[in-house]
Amino acid sequence: MLGAQLALNAVALGAAYALVAIGFVLVLNATTAVNFAHGESVVAGGFAAVALAMLVPAGSAIPGIILLPGVLVLTALLGLAIAALAYLPIRNRPPVSVFVTTIAFGIIVTNGLNAAFGAAPRTAPALLGTGTIEFLGVTASRQSLAIIATAALLIGALAFVLQRTQLGRQFRACAQDPEMARALGIRLTRITLLAFALGTAFAGAAGLLLAHQFFVTPSDGAGLILKAYIAVVIGGWGSLRGAALGAMLIAFFEVGVASVSSQPLAEGLLYVAVLLVLLVRPDGIFGEPQRLRA
Amino acid sequence: MSAVLSSLTRRNRLTIVAVAALALYALFFASSYDQRILTLAGIYVIMVLGYQFIFGHAGALSLAQGAFFGVGAYVTGILASQYGTGFLLTFPLSIAGASMLALIVAVPVLRLASHYFALATLALSQLLLLIAVNWVSVTGGANGLPGVPPITIGDWQATRGTSLLLFVWGIAVAAMLVARWQLNPLRVAVFTVMRDAPLAVPAFGIDPGLLRLRAFVLSAAFGGAAGALFVHTNRVVSPETLGFGIMITCLTMTVVGGRFGILGAVIGALLLTHLPEWFRGLDEYYLVAVGVLLLAMVVFAPDGLASFFKQRRIPASPPGHAATGIEENATSVKTGVRVLEISNLSKRYGGIQALDRVDLSINAGEIVGLIGPNGAGKTTLANIITGIARADSGSIGSAGFDLTTATPTAIARRGIARTFQTPQLPDGLTVHEAVATAAANIGNTANKASSISARATTAIATCGLTRIADARCGTLPHGLRRRVEIARALAGAPHILVLDEPAAGLAPPEQAEIAEILRTLAASGLAVLVIDHNIEFLRPLATRLACLDAGRLIADGPLDEVLADDTVQNAYFGLVQQ
Repeated sequence: MLGAQLALNAVALGAAYALVAIGFVLVLNATTAVNFAHGESVVAGGFAAVALAMLVPAGSAIPGIILLPGVLVLTALLGLAIAALAYLPIRNRPPVSVFVTTIAFGIIVTNGLNAAFGAAPRTAPALLGTGTIEFLGVTASRQSLAIIATAALLIGALAFVLQRTQLGRQFRACAQDPEMARALGIRLTRITLLAFALGTAFAGAAGLLLAHQFFVTPSDGAGLILKAYIAVVIGGWGSLRGAALGAMLIAFFEVGVASVSSQPLAEGLLYVAVLLVLLVRPDGIFGEPQRLRA
Repeated sequence: MSAVLSSLTRRNRLTIVAVAALALYALFFASSYDQRILTLAGIYVIMVLGYQFIFGHAGALSLAQGAFFGVGAYVTGILASQYGTGFLLTFPLSIAGASMLALIVAVPVLRLASHYFALATLALSQLLLLIAVNWVSVTGGANGLPGVPPITIGDWQATRGTSLLLFVWGIAVAAMLVARWQLNPLRVAVFTVMRDAPLAVPAFGIDPGLLRLRAFVLSAAFGGAAGALFVHTNRVVSPETLGFGIMITCLTMTVVGGRFGILGAVIGALLLTHLPEWFRGLDEYYLVAVGVLLLAMVVFAPDGLASFFKQRRIPASPPGHAATGIEENATSVKTGVRVLEISNLSKRYGGIQALDRVDLSINAGEIVGLIGPNGAGKTTLANIITGIARADSGSIGSAGFDLTTATPTAIARRGIARTFQTPQLPDGLTVHEAVATAAANIGNTANKASSISARATTAIATCGLTRIADARCGTLPHGLRRRVEIARALAGAPHILVLDEPAAGLAPPEQAEIAEILRTLAASGLAVLVIDHNIEFLRPLATRLACLDAGRLIADGPLDEVLADDTVQNAYFGLVQQ
């Protein structure tokens, strides 16, 4: 059942991409800022896992899943730093300024990691061990199943917070209309910081999930931000569900094309596809909600 | 000699001293390693000068400048190392290759705004990098192609060292001249309007799409030239030339030096190529420091180091600014001639019939007031006349031309000017500069800088703004901003002037001033269409009044008759005459 295995791989990859894309949208909705350091946040998550695993005495192979809380905390702190240094000081300037400061932050992260760990690919421990298990006649990789379960858990927790808590309501209020939310007494700066922390932590978690099978190198950021971005454009600017869906589509496209040809071709075709999509729909597939007030 | 020196400005003298000192150092004191760094700086000057077009002037974050650099590098690298093609052919081909790529991707990419543009150009860069790494038979793959010969022209060869340094800086100076020619102060002002008040650009006859395209292609051409020189310096072409690192270097140089001007490019390139030498102690953390520098510059000095020096500006009163060169002004049209003919015009927005079979004509020398309750379709009509919106049916003609489906740019060039309900002025430009931008493109013969400036001076005088011609638009109160908009509209020598609520929010004395200006203009033959609610403003002004209600023209005639009309009374004042 090669097809089923490929599909499982694609779903696992899509689940990790979905975390990245959802993190991107969380920041986008709370601030309208496009965070170009988001790809580097994924990389940072991967290296956080590599570093945490090194703290464990050699020889005792630990399951990657127990690194998850540590990775989440570290990348959440990174998100706070991005917000405090690259967004809040210039929140009232033209959007291009924030693009450049977040790019600058990405440079700092990439080259910091490059200096500390070297440019060679690293790998993080598997989440719950390697190997395969038989399930309904399908041979499934343990890692793929663990990625899907972990991502589902995180996305489920986020959905619960957004839908069922007062904080989530404030979040959604800010996403719909930041000025009105502020007028109603919601502390926008606090929500902004939270959005960056949460969004970057989601990216970091994806870094942990991806870093076993696909390795992690400091320069991976550009490709990852592009994929998150494409997912968001496909899924509808600002839609969390759409972002997750777009991420799945990208993963299926990548795994599908790569299975009949090669990984670089899959990636190249993805970039051609996004240029074509933008040719037909300059505002993304579902259009961008207008926030302009005349 | 001293007479020549004293005729120079202080800034020019400083520049000469700095250039001379740098040249002395480069030629006589620099080691061959230092010379190599300076050569690299010259290459980056060219690249940054190009990047300033798109990132600075057009205000769009392009992440493809590294890609254009790489295309130039690979064109030269492949041709020179594999086929032995000479520099005189490879160099123009590198420039052409990068420019062609820009032209091709401009179709999907240039319409995109903001982050879409940034990410689309990033996708392009990643795509080219993938091709360079994976198309091994042509590009040499990850290792690239060695054996790129030095620059050779006839018997002369620029090997490493002084000859290469001089050659590269020679090209850099040529690039500066091209940039200076392309970016005369007037075009710089037009770019500023495009960034700060994008709606206004087409309204005075300049196509913003073409402007962006020009900036994008120029940036690519400069990038391609820089890439070509880079491989001749390194003697090898590799995917490094397409990598994000070069893009980041270029972006950082532009932000640090400045987004505008030759000085900014030179400061940025010299500084960023020498920083690694000065911060050797940082080792591999050097690039982290570059990131910190980039971040800090955007936050604390967003205009770059060059902004601490003065910019070139358009002088408000150029030498010999006698008001000539306006012979093709509205005065040439005879009063009473029909200049605008609107017939059977309809426009629907979703379920709302914004305009319903509207007929309206305007004659030269006439001031037509257009009134109507909110939502009656007044601004829609103004937008359709000026091409910002397009009618569903009906036609608009002016002076024998059908303008129904014309673009805002084409309509403005046919002599229809407008002002906006919310003034669309660039805060950073002076009044004279803002007005001159509209005088630049009226498609006549006398388009020399001096005549443009004279036309602007005249328009400013007509609107009684001469005293504040040098003030920045951003510092002006609302009433004056409206008059600047009128002056700008006049600078294009229109036959027809459409004003969208020119009196809104103004005090009665200011309204009277604007009315006086409009009367003078009409007396000289201009056709004026004034949209306003304010009857007290229109009563002494309009020679004719038209009234829209729910998209239909319910009255059109002499002011008193229209005001006395029952339907108008009912629609507009909400009461029926007893």
